Amino acid sequence: MTQQILNAIFIGSIYALFAVGYTLVFGVLDVLNLAHSAVFMLGAVITYSLVVLHGMPFLPAAIIAVLVCGLLGLLIEFVALRPLRRRNAPPISALISTIGLALIFVAIVEQATQGTFFSWLWQDGANSVRFPAGTVPDPTYHLAGLTIEGTKLGILVTSVVLMLVLGYVMRFTQVGRALRAVAENRRAATLLGINVDRIFASTLFVSSALGGLAGLLFGLAISDISPYIGRDQVELKGLAVIVLGGMGSIPGAVLGGYLLGLIEVFAFVRFGGNVEAGVAFAALFLMLVVRPQGLFGARLRERL
Amino acid sequence: MRNVARGIAIALALALAACGGASSTGTTTSNSYQGKTIQLGAILSLTGAGGVYGPSSKKGMDLAVEKINGSGGVNGAKIALDTRDDASDKIQSQQVAQTLFQQVQPLALLGPTLSNSAVAVHPLAESFKIPILAVSTTGIHIVPDCNFPKTDPCKYVFRDSLGEESAIPANIKVYSDAKHPKTGVLMVANDDKFSKDGGTIVTQTVGQYGIDLLATIPFPKATADFAPPVTQAVQKHPDVIFITSLGNIPANIMREARKQGFTGQFLGGNGFNTAAVSKAAAADGKGAESGSAWYINNTFTSNAGFVQAYRTKYSSDPDQFAAQGYAAILILADAAKRASLTFSDAAGDRTKLRDAMETVNIDTPLGRFQFTSNHDVKQTIWVIQMDGIGGFTLVKSVTPS
Repeated sequence: MTQQILNAIFIGSIYALFAVGYTLVFGVLDVLNLAHSAVFMLGAVITYSLVVLHGMPFLPAAIIAVLVCGLLGLLIEFVALRPLRRRNAPPISALISTIGLALIFVAIVEQATQGTFFSWLWQDGANSVRFPAGTVPDPTYHLAGLTIEGTKLGILVTSVVLMLVLGYVMRFTQVGRALRAVAENRRAATLLGINVDRIFASTLFVSSALGGLAGLLFGLAISDISPYIGRDQVELKGLAVIVLGGMGSIPGAVLGGYLLGLIEVFAFVRFGGNVEAGVAFAALFLMLVVRPQGLFGARLRERL
Repeated sequence: MRNVARGIAIALALALAACGGASSTGTTTSNSYQGKTIQLGAILSLTGAGGVYGPSSKKGMDLAVEKINGSGGVNGAKIALDTRDDASDKIQSQQVAQTLFQQVQPLALLGPTLSNSAVAVHPLAESFKIPILAVSTTGIHIVPDCNFPKTDPCKYVFRDSLGEESAIPANIKVYSDAKHPKTGVLMVANDDKFSKDGGTIVTQTVGQYGIDLLATIPFPKATADFAPPVTQAVQKHPDVIFITSLGNIPANIMREARKQGFTGQFLGGNGFNTAAVSKAAAADGKGAESGSAWYINNTFTSNAGFVQAYRTKYSSDPDQFAAQGYAAILILADAAKRASLTFSDAAGDRTKLRDAMETVNIDTPLGRFQFTSNHDVKQTIWVIQMDGIGGFTLVKSVTPS
């Protein structure tokens, strides 16, 4: 069982990292950025392409991928969100436009053919790939009957450190205070001289960079990489996580991520693989019924 | 009015002449198809979970078509093959089949890649009386009972792919005879027919060889993190982990199990038998055994020639799925050659082709090929193991009893 708890913590770190980005945008902009899962996928895909096609060492490739994902966040802001905001369109329009962008991102990777940047994806017809062995040092430790992989331990440490940094920035820095002010009351923040558009853009940048990082760590240590990892593995689960934790709450997203990891693994061990996915969403449903504001949500506001 | 009557008379005369012409051509050169086209359709999984198999089948088929057309065709007729992707999806597979029936009106069909899709497509082909030759479906109730649970035999459904009912027991027998394992755990994908059938066959077989199945661990194919199911398997400390699943999943399970310290044996089914899986598993898959319909290093002429031609055309090694795809075209070409096709009566031609297929007896890369009375394949089973670098080595050949 201890090994299974470890498994849950490792996958939970990915869910948490992904969901933090999700919830950050929701908290500040009041919209669900459904392109977040596509950015998650691109984090893995871009890193893999740089490492395998260009023989780039993992670390610079990962940094480039995270930065590119951050820039994609800006693209989401400028293409899918800002024009609608200028027209005072309802949040549902922004939701739809981010779905559109997500489909475009996936299609770009999906349509890759021989000779294009993403051509590796279809080699051997396998449709999914793994980082070659030895991309990063991956020592495996066996301690007291437990198996701990170096890469997964790396994920845990990276996630926790980043989430702590984010928590610090949000709470104790000028930027964080501005962010929270915008989240609280956009108009009042504007009157206080905060450049709201800039806050929105930086939120999208940070959120997408975190999403991309979650994706590349997921591809590095957990799963195969394919155009569908975002859609299939984290899109709805990420939603479950932020509902569990309280929509818009960063500590809630972190806790929700680990909670979902644990629920999934316990469901698997207790009820088997047939019901694993169902149990996660049963937990979501239960939370919506019993405590709609989630674990950390102070009160439920009209968001969508 | 007279003009109309004259027009009708002329049209009738022309029609009669045309019929007469056709029948006289048919009798004088009954086996010359010069200038005709033998239209075939293939439904393959070129993307999705079956995307590790479909492209190989396609390459094998394309190579055979090229070879036959390049050496004069089938009694002078060229083969035209229309291959379509079903994205490994059952519903899409059925839609593709229907599109092919209507748009291409093929003499015969090949595929689909996955057993899961075959249960939707084969009954459709049977109802349209179009011969369909499965090239990679190895599940149970593919032939002859394609309408399972109805048991009446499907007359138009054939397969040239070795069924798991033959391959998995042969593989377990060979390994048990050599190593005498005592315990096993079965890891089975629970959301497709091929994997579930494989699991059923493993469950039914292990007892005969004194292997105690400690646990059966089902998982959905979309599982990303195999750590939890593999932890469950490894903690049972089995001698053997049986894996019946598709795509890269067997490789992912092997990799995770080795990381978690599993040192025992992996045994599996047809899902192991492609170079893509062996390559993905790499060193972690070394020694993993499976029963295969084909072995690359067989030296008989029909295989050596195929392997060489494949390497020349694609600059890579063929796998079992390419060999079965290639063999399928040879089988259909041989049947078409002997079927005295008219090219004017589609339904009649299809029945003639079906009848000729039942008596196929030719050399293929799989070995000497014939169908059983149930339209299944009866052939030598090659028990192979992954070599740790993307290929396979032969463990033993098993002649069917």
